[in-house]
Amino acid sequence: MQVSTPISNALIKELKPYDTLEITGVIYTGRDAALPRVVKLIESNKLDELGIDLNGTAILHTAVSVAGIGPTSSNKLDIESSIPALSKAGVKIHIGKGRLTKETVEALKEYNSVFAVTPPVTALLTSTVVEKKIAAFPEEGMEAFHMLRVVKFPIIIAIAHGKSIFDK
Amino acid sequence: MIKYDEVVNKTAETLVKASTTFRPDQIEAYERAVKNEDNPHAKWVLNNILENANIAENKLFPLCDDTGIPHVFLEIGDECELPAGFFAAVEEGVAKGLRQLPGRPMAVLGDDKQRISQSAGLSSDPGDLAMAPIQIRHIPGKKIQLTVLMLGGGPEIRGKTQRVFHKHSVDTVLEEMIAWAKDGVEKLGCQPCILGFGIGRTNVEASSLALEAMKNGNFLVQSDMEKKITEAVNKEGYGALGLGGRTSVLATFIKVGPQRASGVRVVSLRVGCCFDPRRATVVFEG
Repeated sequence: MQVSTPISNALIKELKPYDTLEITGVIYTGRDAALPRVVKLIESNKLDELGIDLNGTAILHTAVSVAGIGPTSSNKLDIESSIPALSKAGVKIHIGKGRLTKETVEALKEYNSVFAVTPPVTALLTSTVVEKKIAAFPEEGMEAFHMLRVVKFPIIIAIAHGKSIFDK
Repeated sequence: MIKYDEVVNKTAETLVKASTTFRPDQIEAYERAVKNEDNPHAKWVLNNILENANIAENKLFPLCDDTGIPHVFLEIGDECELPAGFFAAVEEGVAKGLRQLPGRPMAVLGDDKQRISQSAGLSSDPGDLAMAPIQIRHIPGKKIQLTVLMLGGGPEIRGKTQRVFHKHSVDTVLEEMIAWAKDGVEKLGCQPCILGFGIGRTNVEASSLALEAMKNGNFLVQSDMEKKITEAVNKEGYGALGLGGRTSVLATFIKVGPQRASGVRVVSLRVGCCFDPRRATVVFEG
């Protein structure tokens, strides 16, 4: 399925585990250092000041560096604990890898957001990026909050509406 | 006579090769896994990994954006005289290789406390990433074999080094290794995994042996113990990228060292990711 950003609530409602998507448009990236700081900005209503609109967006859990991009483990404490607040703020697709907890599965369901995984195939994924810039926290270097414009970035839905591919 | 510049340049080349290239045995293991896989999602992931390896090798682009912490393993011939400055040349070669690659700029800046809390930022120079302390073994002859292994961070979260009470049974230890591996492989998210085990007398020795196992490992040569662990984890069906299927573990590499006269064995596990072991070797003729 081809998907363009911003992503609508209606589209998310239709998604189920194992659906494969290719995303085209603007997505954000963040990981251990940036995501908890984004959550703090949301809590203090300061996100607008940086010109960041999370409504209908996707966040890819990655660093952005000269070595390219690739999903990091989303179940690292700083990253997974940011998912509920980011979902509440309008993030529709969280992209990373690894199993998430039941609590996170529930939070995604509550805010009509989904979790998707993508293989850590850096050489391939980096070839989908046509533009990149730092959106916030430049002092974090490769861990800064980045905006990427991507064409046909491949993902597989892993958790949607309370159902997880990681459940046995 | 081994020259300083030769060591710098060949070490750099070897680091780039380790970071960008699959070896023939590794490719064959993946091709076998694709043939053996029924799950279409897992097959998609395995094929993506092979395509990624193809792009990475042709463009000399990193296989994974976590280009890893450089670990150098040296095997020095008993009849070889090390030239002055050899270790400095290796270090310079690692920095040069990281800049050439380029490696991810992830050297953490600051004093002890700042580096622990990562509160003083990162260096923007890929070459600032310090290599891990060198491992050394000796071999017969005049040559020096230098292997660069690039160790990514995900596997460091899932690996561990701990004592196991063996109860005078190899099966007791194997069962414990399988239990650790299942736990780590399920959570890693970069399956298929490559498991590296070292079994020794101390925590330091076991970790060093695990690295040696990753240095030696050939995907097409698997011992009974290695096969047993691979098969036991694969029965769980986590599959490539956790999407289910037959291939949760592609291979297991074990190095058993000398053991302590005691009821305790120290086991070290690296739950390697789908690109592990990212390694390449260069030989210097002494």
